[in-house]
Formats: sequence, C-alpha cells, structure tokens
Amino acid sequence: MDNIFAAHKQQETKGNLSKTIDSVQSLIDLLQTTRDHVAADPSMSALHLAKLQTPVKQSFTKLEEDLKEVNKGMNAYQKALKDKFKTASLPTSTNEVLNEKEDLVNRAIAMHLLREGKFNVARTFVKEVSAKAPPVSEDSEETIDVDMETGQPLNNTRSWIEDLADADDVMIDGMEAVADGELERSGLQKKFTDMYHILDSLRNQHNLEPAIEWARQHSFELENRGSNLEFELARLKFVELYTTEDIMADDPFAGPLRALEYARETFPAFNNRYARETSSLLGSLAFSPELGTSPYKPFFHNSSSFEEASASFTREFCGMLGLSSQSPLYTAVTAGGIALPILEKVERVMAQARGQWTSVNELPVETPLPPGFAFHSIFVCPVSKEQATDANPPMMLPCGHVIARESLDMHSKGKSRMKCPYCPNESHPREAKRVYI
Amino acid sequence: MAELTTTKLDPDNHLLLDQPLLRLPNELLRKNLKTAQRHIEQTNKNVTKDVQAAVGQQPDQALASLEATLAKAQNLKRKLEQLHAEEQSLQRQQRLRIEHLQQLHEIPSLADVKYDTWSHTRLDRLLVDYLLRQGYTQSARELAAEKNINDLVDVDVFEDCGRIEKSLLDGRTQECLSWCSENKQALKKINSNLELELRLQQFIELARSGDVKNQVDAIVHARKHLAGGQDTEFGLRAGGLLAHPPDTLVEPYRMMYSPERYIHLARQFVKTHHELFSLPSQPLLHIALSAGLSALKTPSCHSEYALQANANTGAPVCPICSTELNELARNVPYAHHTKSYMEDDPVVLPNGRVFGRERLKRLNEKLGTDPGKIKDPTDMETEWDERELKKVYIS
Ligand SMILES: [Zn+2]
Ligand SMILES: [Zn+2]
Repeated sequence: MDNIFAAHKQQETKGNLSKTIDSVQSLIDLLQTTRDHVAADPSMSALHLAKLQTPVKQSFTKLEEDLKEVNKGMNAYQKALKDKFKTASLPTSTNEVLNEKEDLVNRAIAMHLLREGKFNVARTFVKEVSAKAPPVSEDSEETIDVDMETGQPLNNTRSWIEDLADADDVMIDGMEAVADGELERSGLQKKFTDMYHILDSLRNQHNLEPAIEWARQHSFELENRGSNLEFELARLKFVELYTTEDIMADDPFAGPLRALEYARETFPAFNNRYARETSSLLGSLAFSPELGTSPYKPFFHNSSSFEEASASFTREFCGMLGLSSQSPLYTAVTAGGIALPILEKVERVMAQARGQWTSVNELPVETPLPPGFAFHSIFVCPVSKEQATDANPPMMLPCGHVIARESLDMHSKGKSRMKCPYCPNESHPREAKRVYI
Repeated sequence: MAELTTTKLDPDNHLLLDQPLLRLPNELLRKNLKTAQRHIEQTNKNVTKDVQAAVGQQPDQALASLEATLAKAQNLKRKLEQLHAEEQSLQRQQRLRIEHLQQLHEIPSLADVKYDTWSHTRLDRLLVDYLLRQGYTQSARELAAEKNINDLVDVDVFEDCGRIEKSLLDGRTQECLSWCSENKQALKKINSNLELELRLQQFIELARSGDVKNQVDAIVHARKHLAGGQDTEFGLRAGGLLAHPPDTLVEPYRMMYSPERYIHLARQFVKTHHELFSLPSQPLLHIALSAGLSALKTPSCHSEYALQANANTGAPVCPICSTELNELARNVPYAHHTKSYMEDDPVVLPNGRVFGRERLKRLNEKLGTDPGKIKDPTDMETEWDERELKKVYIS
C-alpha cells in the first residue's frame, strides 16, 4: 500500500497538467511579444516571424515532454497497483447463479435498505424496479403454487414490490390487478409492511405509539425471549411526556404530571422485572425542572435513544418472524469477502480441470469464517467424514455415538448385530435412531 | 487440522474485490491525458502551419495571422485548464480511495469492530455498483449521498455508459460513435472493432431504405469507413448486403437487417466500455454474495427438518435461513466442514432433537417448565421427565 501511496503522491505533485499549462503560457507570451513587435514595427515583420519559427517548435516539443512526465506518473502508479494485486482476475463462475435471480437479489436489497432505515432510498428503489420490471399481465389466471408448510405462495417473487410500494402508498402499474391482494398477501409480507410503518414512525418521526402497541400485543413472546423492548419503549414514553412542553398549560409541572399519570397506569405491569428502573424514573420527578444536573440526566438527555429503540425493535420483530437481526445481506457479503481469496484459488485450480465450484453440492475446501458467523450445529460423520444431510442424516446408536446413515448401512451390511465403531457396545442396526442436530 | 474459524485479516488477499476501486480513477486520468494530448497535437499542427505561412505575408496580414494563432494558443490553455481541474478532482478521489483501502491495513483482526464498520462501507459501495449496473441510477445516487460515499463510487461513469447503451437500444449510433472517437487510441490498443460494427450499422440503415440516393451514399460510406480497415471481412459483408433486400431470408444478411443487431451492439459497447476502464464485467455484489452464500450455507439451511430457531430459543437466526436469502441460496453449494461443531455437553430429547445441556436448561427455565420436567423449546407440545434426556457423543 505504501508504494501505491507514494506513486499517487508523485502524481499529485509532479504528474499533472500544471506544468503543461505553464508551457502553453510561455508560448502565448512568445506569440504575444512577436505580435507586439510586428505591430510596432511592421517593416521588420518578416524578420520577427523568421525568428519565431524555432521557438514555436521548441515550445511544442516542451509540451510533449511535459505530457510524457504525466504519463510516466501514471505508469508508475499502475505498476504499483500491479505489484500489490498480483492476481488480477476475479472469480467468474458466479455469473449464472445470481444473474438469473435478479428479482431475488433486488428483494434482498430492498429488505436490507428497510432494515437500515433508508426508507427514502428503498422507496426510490422500489419505484425504479417496478418501472423496469415487465408489467404484470392482467388476464393471466395462473394458479399460484403454495408452499404446504408455510402457506406462502411460491414463485410469486414480484409481490414484494407490491407490498413495499403499497407500504408507501405508491401506486404502481398492475396494482389494480392485485387490489384485493390482502387475501393473497402472505403473512410475512404483510408483517414486513407493518415493520416498515412502525420503524418509520419510531426512527424518523419519534412517534412511539405504533411500536408500543406492537410490543403490548406481543408482550408474552417478548418476555419469553428475554427482551426488554416493552420497558425500553415505556421509559421513552415517560421521558417524552415529562419533557414535552404544553403551551396551553401554564402549569410548569404539566409535563411531569402527565408522566406520573402514565407511570401509574403502565409501570405496575413491569414491576416484577424492572422495579429498580421504574422507581428510579419516578424519583426523577423530585428533580423537576433541574433534570440536567440530576442523577437522572442520562435518561433524559440521550439523543441516541430512539436509534437504540429502533435497533432493539428491529431485532425483536425480525427474531419473532425467523428473520436474522443483522442484515443477512451484510453478513453474506462480509463472509463472501473473507471466503473469496480461498474460492478464487479453488477456481483457478478447478479451471484447469474444467470444473466449477458453483456446480457442485459442497465447496471443495474449507472457508473458515470468524466465530460470529456460525449459526447451525454441524455434524460431520466421524466414519465417512461427510456432512450429514436430509438424505444421509445423523443416526444415534444405543450407546449414544452418532454416525451418518450411509456409514451405518455400510458398517452393518448383512449383520444382525453390529459393534459401535467407537466403543465396545453391540446393538441391532434397527435400534439406531435418527437425531436432529 | 484445518481451522474451523478464523479472525486473521490478510489485507492483501482481502482486497481482491477492491482493485477496480483504485484502477478506475487512473484509467480516467489516462483518458484525460489523452484528450490533452489531442488538443496539443491539433494546436501544434495549426499554429506551426500558420506561423510558417506568415513569414511570406504582408505585415498587416502577418499581424492578423499572429493574432489568430494567439487565439488558438489561448484556447488551448483554456482547455488544458479545464482538463487540469478534472485531473485534480480525479486525483483527490484516487487519494480518498487509497486511504479507504489503507484503513483495512490498520485493522488488527476480523473480530475488530473497525472491520465491521469497514465492511459496512464496502457493502454500500458494492450496492451502489450493483444499482448502477442494473440501471437503478436514482437509487444509486441517493444511497451514495446518504452514506456519504460519493468518492468511492462511480456514478457518472456508469450513467454515461448507460446513456450510450440506451441510445443504441433506441436505434441510434451517433452517441456511441462519438464515444469511440473520444477513446480512439485506447480502443485501438485493445483491438476493438466496435467502431467498425457501428459503421456497418450505419451502412445497413442506408441499404435498408432502398432508395437509390441512399444506396449510393451507402457505397460511399462503405468505401470511407469499412474498406481497407484492419478487418477486410467488414467490407465483404457490406458488399453482400447490398445485393439483398431488407426482407431477405438469406443469412447472414437477414440477421444484419434485424433490429436485434442493436441489442448486440449495446452489449458489445458495455463490454468494451468496462474493459477499457478496468471495470469487472459483472456486479461485484454478485461475486461477493455468491461466495458468501456458500461459505455460510449448511445442509440445515434448506432441510425439511431444520431446527427452526424460532421465538422460543432466541438464538440468532442464520442469514441463509432468513427470508431475504433463503431462496437465493437454494442452488449454491454449501460450505465444506471436516469437523463437527456442536454446543458443549450435547443431550438428546426423546423426540430426537439435540441441544447443549446448559442452554436447554436455561430455555426451559424461561419457558416456566416445571422442575424435573423438560420440553423441546422448538415444539412445546410434549413434556418429558428430565431423566429421559440422554447424553449423546458427537466426535
Ligand atoms: Zn458407541
Ligand atoms: Zn441456515
């Protein structure tokens, strides 16, 4: 990197056109002087002009040299880049995999933008995508295949656009065709629209009501998850009531009194888990209006509290829907950046064997990631060294040792009793039990 | 034994995706320089000629000639000043980009919070790159502005490219031809025949009209642009075309008359454009994402029996299992592992589900299961006696 920086510095100081401009100025001066001489003394015109020929030629030679200098700077920079990035090529076998799935990639991006609270960008994006995507044909009465497990429509990829557009009251072409979409809309997409509204209110308008209402409806689940979102929101509400100035009331305690009223209504429900916090909030009432110097200052002068509540809300909302709380797109692209150097090498090796890593079931090499990137337990059969799959699931022998089914079949072939490969225990192959890891 | 996880950050390898970031400003600087060179050559030719001619002229005529050359030199200076301003802006951008990549070299490990920040910025860059390539230019602009990464993305370059691509798709060759002349030398260097293809298209349009005057123009056009070039095949194809009417079924002339040819031209232009500016041919997001999908994917992610990390377990949800990416990851390979990876002290419930003993206990406490009893937190239907838990050995 130092070499690249040095080459760049060189370019900034020397490898630029400023010298060339100076040289052109000299040429202008030269022409100007000659012109003035000719104007002052026309009889000597031929002489002056004859004297001009060589300097003009030299001027342009100088200009060319100046440019060469700039060019040299560029070549030096390019060489520094070349030395730094020895492998110039990027893996290419990813082409087909994602090129055919533009719509799914777009959906992932739209959801990512919403998670990040980039509502305006998301809105523009949805508009641009729907303007580009082919219009939904109105008379096609195709039956939508429904996933038996989740009840969600399959192959209905365009509907995310309608949901997001709908969330923002953007009318798009073909909306009429799905006007009674409330029925068709899958549960998840409906919820996603809700999340959009609640987050928009909370983060952008600092309106707590929709979030509080949602948290109240999911109070039980939230508590099971060990979340304190509901209390966090109530605390924010308390602070808001406390500090909002009511211009109609001339009572300086109007705010604190409203807060007190709210606290009496709401806080008893939290008493078990948040006794300390609630009493400390109420203690702040004694300090009104000198909150700034009170021990409660951090509660009241915390500009990032809405940001934090939004993050906490997103985490809980997504968690309950089975969505990850960190943006999956972020996690995947980061993991990709980490794994790419290894995959690039694999691709180079496999290219010689005319293979592609994207066309197999399993990557040919390990791609280690940082600890936070493991989300599932992994079972690798100690006998075959293969990862368990639905087709080749983990089986537990009565002794508690686990091997993959194919290994079990192999090991017990033709025998009515088999010895565990890892302990002296003997058992009947039928006694092996499928486990879910 | 291979490591299961890593926190090692090897910046040199890590920057595989980021080369174009540093290459493009330099390519644009080069183009800038070439333009300067063209202006200088042009002025050189004119000024030298005028100055020579002036020697034999009458004084008042010579004075006028000198004034004209002076104007030309001043004009050159103005143009160079503009190019210099552009150059400075590109160099500033280049420095900011080097600094951005330099940051990565100062981050000690992948687990560092600074890496997280850096990687977020990279994602934003890749997203803008993707949006630009797919033609979602307004979204790209807004995202770049909101994330304050205008100097790390190339909105103008892609917008320009998109504008010319669209003009071709609309059946116009003029915009692309002037782009070709702006980049003449660079195109020559990579042996591009884009300009010839465009000239051939102009010829096809003249031939298509069928009227005699246009036919003559077509021949003149072919002589000027298509014959004698480095590729004689173009002249031959052009000649053959004149012998066939626009509704011909004879190949390759039918294809030449087809409006689809503009789609090919547009594609060829984009390809040439990216090659010229050292831009990868596909979105960087695709490259990073498909590598990441595979590195994260496990056989569980699309398994019928996958343990749904649902509300009751509170475990972080896997990004591949998450709705955003699940379908996208369906056909990519899953990661390779040589070692099992499991919570400590695994136990199996009577229904076959395996959990770490500690976590299972904690979850059951939170669920309010009676002491001595145990439930599967992912399926609360049944309650068992705690003694039915069985230790399982996973090596
Ligand atoms: Zn055993
Ligand atoms: Zn998963």
